[in-house]
Amino acid sequence: MTQGYSRDQLGVTDAMIDAYGDIVFKLSNNHQIRRGDPVRMKDFAAIEAHRHELGMSDEQIAERVGLAPAQVTLIRNLEERRRFRTGHYHQLNKLGGGKRFRAERMTPLQDHFRYNEDALSLRAAFAFDPATVRGYVEDGYWKNDTLRGWLIRNAEETPDGRALAGAGGDLTWRELRERVGKLAAGFYKAGIRPGDVVAVQLPNTRDYVESFLALCWLGAVMTTLYMTFRESEFRTQLAHSNAKAVILPEIIGDFAAAETALRLSVELETLQRVIVAGTPPAGAIALASLYDVPPLPKELPAPTAADPFLLLYTSGTTSSPKGVPLNSHQMLTNARLGVVEHDIRPGDVVLSAAPYGHLFGLYSIEMAICAGASIDLLPIFSPPAFIKAVEEDRPTHLFAGPAHLAACNGMGLFDKADMSSLRVTVLSGSAVPPDLVRACAPKFTGGVITQLWGMTELQAGLYSRPGDDPEIAATSAGRNSPGTHVRIGDENGNELPRGEEGELQVRGPSVFAAYYNNPEATAAAFTADGYFRSGDLACMDANGNVTLSGRLKEVINRGGVKYSPQEVELLLEKHPAIAQCAIAPVPDERLGERACCYAVLKPQASVTLEELCAFLTEKGLAKHKLPERLELRETMPMTATRKIIKGQLKP
Amino acid sequence: MSQNAYDPETAKQEIFAYAKKRGALAVGVADLAAIERIAPPGHRPSDIMPRVKSVISVGVGGQTQGAWTVPAKALGYFGSTETRAYSCVYALAFFMESMYGAPSVYCPPDMDNEAGPRVPLQSLKLHAELAGIGARSLAGDILLHPEFGYMYFASVFTELELPPDEPMADNPCPAPSCTDMYRKIGQTPCMKFCPVQCLSGKIDAEGKQEEMHYDMAACAEMTQQYEAVPAMLARALEAEDATQRTDALFDPDNKMLWYKMSVGSGGLLAQCFECMRVCPIATRSPQADPIRRRNSK
Repeated sequence: MTQGYSRDQLGVTDAMIDAYGDIVFKLSNNHQIRRGDPVRMKDFAAIEAHRHELGMSDEQIAERVGLAPAQVTLIRNLEERRRFRTGHYHQLNKLGGGKRFRAERMTPLQDHFRYNEDALSLRAAFAFDPATVRGYVEDGYWKNDTLRGWLIRNAEETPDGRALAGAGGDLTWRELRERVGKLAAGFYKAGIRPGDVVAVQLPNTRDYVESFLALCWLGAVMTTLYMTFRESEFRTQLAHSNAKAVILPEIIGDFAAAETALRLSVELETLQRVIVAGTPPAGAIALASLYDVPPLPKELPAPTAADPFLLLYTSGTTSSPKGVPLNSHQMLTNARLGVVEHDIRPGDVVLSAAPYGHLFGLYSIEMAICAGASIDLLPIFSPPAFIKAVEEDRPTHLFAGPAHLAACNGMGLFDKADMSSLRVTVLSGSAVPPDLVRACAPKFTGGVITQLWGMTELQAGLYSRPGDDPEIAATSAGRNSPGTHVRIGDENGNELPRGEEGELQVRGPSVFAAYYNNPEATAAAFTADGYFRSGDLACMDANGNVTLSGRLKEVINRGGVKYSPQEVELLLEKHPAIAQCAIAPVPDERLGERACCYAVLKPQASVTLEELCAFLTEKGLAKHKLPERLELRETMPMTATRKIIKGQLKP
Repeated sequence: MSQNAYDPETAKQEIFAYAKKRGALAVGVADLAAIERIAPPGHRPSDIMPRVKSVISVGVGGQTQGAWTVPAKALGYFGSTETRAYSCVYALAFFMESMYGAPSVYCPPDMDNEAGPRVPLQSLKLHAELAGIGARSLAGDILLHPEFGYMYFASVFTELELPPDEPMADNPCPAPSCTDMYRKIGQTPCMKFCPVQCLSGKIDAEGKQEEMHYDMAACAEMTQQYEAVPAMLARALEAEDATQRTDALFDPDNKMLWYKMSVGSGGLLAQCFECMRVCPIATRSPQADPIRRRNSK
């Protein structure tokens, strides 16, 4: 329409617009060429000769082309619209005030980075309650903490401070920052974009730390593959997480990790890159080759605390794994506040015997970077390697599982080694036997042993502090981490009195918002008032210290009398014939459930149910908790985190 | 209205004095015959005022020195001083009617309401150039003055016959520093720093303009809200879903367009000013600097 007339009234067709649009636009003043200075010179001949270049009025164009003026006006305006490159005016935001246009610095809006569908789907999982967010921000828990920000800060404030130590380490903060920045650019060149999920299966090496931090630097999301994972677990997790790339060694023991990932990249549409720390097979990319590439494009969004940076999977002792998206707000607030509680100071040395593939190991990295402490690398735990690392690297902090200490203590290594550098040892990952803490504490002459309870869904929820009574640290998981609210609740979400056993329920700034693409699991995970149901049985003393007593789903209901089998299992582990055991219910017509003991015996050992009951009775166990059936096994079904999968235990 | 007896030269000086008193920096009388010959049909002074005898062009000052240092978006707010030019010629038209009894109109500043806003109803630029108060630059034909730099222009059409002035003898554009830059990199500052790269051209061996290329379509998209507003609406209408449509309409940048429309502001988007910001004539001519202008009085 032009001047109120429709196309029909003007007789303009699409064919006319297509045919004449170009010449009309060209003759109009949309593009002007002036040769010399004819107007000022009043050179009328030159003006007439070049009028078509100076820009003609619609009337003049109509005369020249053979159209009606109104037709020219309509066609010209439509052609102007057709050629419109929208969004230019937004560029004004980036100009002036000393900033000049430079073509090489300007990216058209339509060419700017955009998150892909998978990334947006993951970001959608952070459906926090608005009031909760407001509270965390106003109370100062959530700040704009990012690992990239912390790394930059350390590199600026203590450039020559030691960032990495131990096997294959020894980097300053400046060097680590440079390498991480380069590797982030390498990941970008390899096709990884902000928001993409990247799976990592590496031991606790420099490659792991640099890959993790480079993914954070880029704004990608890491999902960890446990070192014990093989093809079946790869397929499940890589598919569910929509991982775009995987970083792993060429081989792990006898497992051809890289070849397996390459095979899966054909099967899984989303898996596009296999990056190998070491010598890559054909079709894979060498991690080392990604350090020498052009820098990241400047228009890429810098990661913020609200961005997802981890997609972790629960260990799944009772059901199939669930994906837990976590952002920097959640994890790094928890780490920042934990630094003070665990007494980590600048210049300290933090060793993790726990694999970095587990959140407990990552927690140690986060806190070390936050504090400006060194990350001490122990690639794969073995008692001798661990003792060597402690004696040579002199760590001040140790993050380990009870099994790590038990193995070393069982071999008598603590009696000979110098453990005096350890100021704080934090145990977590599984139930901590009090006797283990009591046995090791006197040998850790430089400090204390504490306990920590955490879950993938919330990182560190409870821990004892270095100043606590040693017996508290031996027998409980300690008090709530800063900002975390814990309660012992019943199945309806009602808080139980102190001392009563119930479910440990948690809310706070580190608690996850929802499982990834699993609304049913999310709905079941929270109470009506927003507490996360941990599924752990616990009781809390008057001072807020929490003692874990088992898993809620593992409770045995014997004729209405309920008890957690964890106490029984801890006693049975002391029996000389038992290598490994688990108590699980079996259906019973009269009582509903009875307890069955599943056991793996030590070599050459034998035992009967009666002998076990006599042993337990002698230890003071109540009669109703005695197992009523014994099933011997060659092996136990285990999770990747070395927990027995009780759901698979059947008589 | 009957015209009073007057001496053309005296009247011209009285008119110039009045215009300057109302804020004009430069005033001139354009050669009406030349305008009528150069301007296309429908866009000539006589198309508006059949008995027009003279066209008076007035230039008012551009930015303060401080304004050239602010971000582009901020400059968009207060960068335009063209309304001062219109108020000046509005008063001038009244002055001429009351003093000389000569019907006068101030030239409508708006665009051609039949052809759309990319087509000016009258070329204020043509009037000013022929009146000798500006010369066409390499920066999209924007007029420059060697003393006053970059000005906004407005015109008065009158039935009073006044002796015309001549165009400026010399064109200040390109400045020597711009020529030096062109010799080195093939671009002048206005060409190099235009955010949509709408300018190009050539400078001859004598340092004079040889060719000026101006992609007005690109410039308009960048700087004119009459293009940005319908583009934004079209984008919203073409959105795939309601969420994207709402996002487009409520984009803060786009909401600024609504704001500017609702308050009737001529700024943002009126110009982007980047070619003028880097022009040594526009920003550093002796009288372009209001501080130096005051001190020179």
